[in-house]
Amino acid sequence: MDSPAANAAFAKQINIKFPLLSDMNKKMLREYGILKGYDVQNETYQWAQRSNIVIDKNGVVQHIEEGDSAVDPNTAMSVCVDLHKKQTSK
Amino acid sequence: MKRALAACLALAMTPALPSLPAQNQKPEIAKVTLKVGDTAPDFTLLSDQWKPVKLSDYRGKKNVLLAIYVLAFTGG
Repeated sequence: MDSPAANAAFAKQINIKFPLLSDMNKKMLREYGILKGYDVQNETYQWAQRSNIVIDKNGVVQHIEEGDSAVDPNTAMSVCVDLHKKQTSK
Repeated sequence: MKRALAACLALAMTPALPSLPAQNQKPEIAKVTLKVGDTAPDFTLLSDQWKPVKLSDYRGKKNVLLAIYVLAFTGG
């Protein structure tokens, strides 16, 4: 699990302009139901399901992708663009 | 085009273990409860600048794309 310091180093490395967040105690992941459990050598480890979630200005979930389909963020990006167009054309 | 995407937040979780076969997955631990149309639960998480970022900070201002990445940023 990456700490804010590790994320800062990564953000600098690839010049990211948006916030990279850390869920160190996995609270948000649990609340969103995207924390998965894996058994390894009689121990259970938990980490997040790879996902993209689009939330609109009103806080309403507009799009969810999980697993392999979430590896490519382009679908979620286009959902964001369409959402923005819809909002600005009103 | 990128300006149209108001806010992009990426959540990085990279545990030290390698990825595992899907059959080890225990679906009963994680219930994907969130559905399209639901109100997203608010959260406060630390950014890479050690500043708390709240989902509700963007309410009424920007659309948010949450990208949850696992095993993506470290050598793990």
